[in-house]
Amino acid sequence: MLPIDAAAHSSRWRHRHPVDKAVLGLGLTVLAISLPPWPGAALVLVTALVVMLGPAAVPGRRLWRAYRVPLGFCVTGALPLLLQVGGPDGFVTLAAGGPTRAGELLLRTSAASLGVLLFAFTTPMSDLLPRLVNAGVPAPVVDVALVTYRMSFLLLDSVRRIREAQAARLGHTTRAATWRSLAGLGATAFIRAFDRATRLQAGLAGRGYDGTLRVLVPEARVSARFTLAAGALLAAVAALTFVLERALR
Amino acid sequence: MHIAEGFLPPAHAVAWGIASAPFVVHGVRSLTREVREHPESTLLIGASGAFTFVLSALKLPSVTGSCSHPTGTGLGAILFRPPVMAVLGTITLLFQALLLAHGGLTTLGANVFSMAIVGPWAGYGIYRLLRRLDVPLMVAVFFGAFVADLSTYCVTSVQLALAFPDPSSGFLGALGKFGSIFAVTQIPLAVSEGLLTVLVMRLLVQSSKGELTRLGVFLARKQSGTRTAESAETTAATKTSETTETVVR
Repeated sequence: MLPIDAAAHSSRWRHRHPVDKAVLGLGLTVLAISLPPWPGAALVLVTALVVMLGPAAVPGRRLWRAYRVPLGFCVTGALPLLLQVGGPDGFVTLAAGGPTRAGELLLRTSAASLGVLLFAFTTPMSDLLPRLVNAGVPAPVVDVALVTYRMSFLLLDSVRRIREAQAARLGHTTRAATWRSLAGLGATAFIRAFDRATRLQAGLAGRGYDGTLRVLVPEARVSARFTLAAGALLAAVAALTFVLERALR
Repeated sequence: MHIAEGFLPPAHAVAWGIASAPFVVHGVRSLTREVREHPESTLLIGASGAFTFVLSALKLPSVTGSCSHPTGTGLGAILFRPPVMAVLGTITLLFQALLLAHGGLTTLGANVFSMAIVGPWAGYGIYRLLRRLDVPLMVAVFFGAFVADLSTYCVTSVQLALAFPDPSSGFLGALGKFGSIFAVTQIPLAVSEGLLTVLVMRLLVQSSKGELTRLGVFLARKQSGTRTAESAETTAATKTSETTETVVR
């Protein structure tokens, strides 16, 4: 299991309905990209961090390990905004206002990422996917997504073991050997995926498979209290942004 | 490279979502039809999705010495066709956003457009064109994967340039800026992915002819050299192997 999903399964909010957590987490993400980056995205960032480390009890170290990935993308993505092409001073020069734009972008992306991470760290995929049917996603697509999700872990595990075996046989010592090992890894993953699908199909056929994959979904109800509180928090962040923005002008 | 969460302004995020929607809807409709007609396909398509997800997690040695991961769009399009890849790519990108914090939900539309639509269609188009011109299979596979990878990054550059035009030279300057940054890393990576795809395909042709036939990658060709439009079933291909020559589309 991947670290974020593993954390979601043991989250304090695991048994809350995904809609509750979507209103809060994805609401923060929408605010992060809609409000002015300063002070809006900064407020969203602080709010998301406080909610995650406080009431949601997301382990700080796990959060940092997951967060540093998008943070790295944000930093590298913001760097080109520091430069401008053409103009009177030369072909490539430092852009006027570049640091401000890059800083605002960094704030926006890092705040938006935290909103999604809040949702991801508290909602296991196995709780979310079956409920997508209620959101209008066609059942066959949800079934395919469920198979993909469950098979991904098995395949990732297989790939890890194959890689270890290849390394033990000096399969990564030279560049040519690395390429050969990597090709073998890709081909074996394909073969194993299809082998597993065929065996699953045979097993399901023996149990009267009629084309729909029924899975048990943990019962949960949308909490009006939680959703209203989340809505109030989002409204407060938006209102505070506009107040602070006016005061900082 | 995925566009990170919150990187695009709201209007751009919505616009790319709208641009991707017809392709994804078309893919969903063909997938739903396929699953209704052949319920057992759910497991095979799910396995294909898991394979795509795992493929994108493989670490690829770049010819410049750095390390990255393949997009898998070229191989996926050759194996599963672009419409199915639009759905599988969307599912994969959703999983990457929620399980790995790669990409994002607000940038899902933009990432789907570059990685699950343009990449597969461009790669598949080149692959089919080269096969029609009787170019050897592995050369067509290489260019299919190469173009799929490169077109993905070209579209990403366009998306970023539209969102962040250069203060001095506008869209074209920004396109040159993002394009040249990507070119340094992505042209070598596209070459690497092309080579890896050829190696994987070589192994698959040797070991998984049955699966490739089932996927429709193999077509039957009469001895006279005229191509039939229908893909041969595994059994049919075996039975007719004496009178027909099995070729790869």
